[in-house]
Amino acid sequence: MPMNKLILFYYVVLWGGSRLRGSVRRWKQPVVRGTDWFFNVRVQPGFYEGEGKSLLRRYRLRMLATAAVEAPIAVALIATGHIPYLGWLILASAIAVHVNHLFNVEAAERKARGFATPGEDQPVSAMLVPLETRRLRDYTNRTVERLIVFGSIFSVAWLVRFYLDSPSGHNFGMVFGMPIFLLYYQLGFLLMKNAVVQWSAPIPKMQAEEHLKAREERRKLYLHVADASRIMVTAGLVLWPFVVGAPEARRELFFKAHFVVLMAMAVIFGIWHEMGRNSVLKAALRANPVRMPDLLNAQPAGWPVCYQPATPTLLVRAARGYSLNLANRFTLLGAGYLAGFLALIMLLRMSQ
Amino acid sequence: MFLTINTDDARAIYQQVADGIKELIARGELGEGTALPPVRQLAADLGVNLNTIAIAYRELQKEGLITVRHGSGSVVASRTSNERQQSELLRPLRTALTELVLAGLSARKIQEIVAHELQTVTKGSAK
Repeated sequence: MPMNKLILFYYVVLWGGSRLRGSVRRWKQPVVRGTDWFFNVRVQPGFYEGEGKSLLRRYRLRMLATAAVEAPIAVALIATGHIPYLGWLILASAIAVHVNHLFNVEAAERKARGFATPGEDQPVSAMLVPLETRRLRDYTNRTVERLIVFGSIFSVAWLVRFYLDSPSGHNFGMVFGMPIFLLYYQLGFLLMKNAVVQWSAPIPKMQAEEHLKAREERRKLYLHVADASRIMVTAGLVLWPFVVGAPEARRELFFKAHFVVLMAMAVIFGIWHEMGRNSVLKAALRANPVRMPDLLNAQPAGWPVCYQPATPTLLVRAARGYSLNLANRFTLLGAGYLAGFLALIMLLRMSQ
Repeated sequence: MFLTINTDDARAIYQQVADGIKELIARGELGEGTALPPVRQLAADLGVNLNTIAIAYRELQKEGLITVRHGSGSVVASRTSNERQQSELLRPLRTALTELVLAGLSARKIQEIVAHELQTVTKGSAK
């Protein structure tokens, strides 16, 4: 099968399947606790026959907006033969879907609060905050880390030796292009893992154990996603020498095999994560949602970005939804990471 | 190990944080040398301004209950390094006792209350 067809197969069947699964999950999300609830807001009886109906429809239409943007772009890329660019489209779509969902849920819940059961939507007064210092090493599997480190070092060392054996005979971009990107992704997933470890919020005193369990289940899932992605990236790096070291005539075959192995891993990890989502959902359903008080008293934030060094959160409530706090460490790291990514693409293009 | 914060409490958030940590130290749940979460982490966890936690930590540091080491964060100080004067330590107790007497409680009742509170506060500290 030609490489373009493999990419197309991946995009339509695997990415399409994953998008469909995600869309079904998000479609059901507002009523996952039953029709007494709209997301985490306990609503009055008859809500879904009245205003709730249009709120639900609006939420679902907004949810599908990303697909409405993605589909024509994908068709255009396929029709014009730019199939390899589908990979970038997947990356952009994955980010857009998550950001859109975050804001969509926030907006839907905010509107639903106007129809909340009286007295049920008050912020709780008593809350607990854990005093433990969360460190990355407490959430680290040493065996996995060793495999990642040794696998990456071995692969990079082999590639350097291979290139230095005959620098004029090998294309720098061909030998190191993919590994550099893979190592950069590795760094990105490590940053993501660190952010997941750091992530926390107060829990209500009532049903504290259930809320804590729900949070830890969610943290566990996100950490699994980050680690699975890092393992996949390492596998891609470890298998790369087989591709560049293959005889010229068989290189494309090895390249396809490399792609297929990574896709197979993505499918296995995807199924594993779907199973993990079920335990997250079960734990979340055991804890009754509550509204936490806003203790921040942050200065009014502009939209879409603000600079508030004394505010420790990434997002600050603004007049129109949320504003990205440019003074936050994670914003700076994220911005630096994206800038590095763009610089890397330019450098690799220049080296070719 | 958790800090309890209550928005219905008349005390300011920073005071609740400081008092909560003091209680955990008194009960022995936060032992000598135990690291406290960095100001930034605790502020983010609670969703409060960084200064709120910084003030609470400063108060604890002023009272000799924690030591702040640059680069390695704050740790619970050794009890022996607490060099506050006894008269200074007794002042809040005297104020509280005065309040109880003025409230009309008998000396015996006050003794019972003090004994009970002392038991609650020091629960676990004998470990």
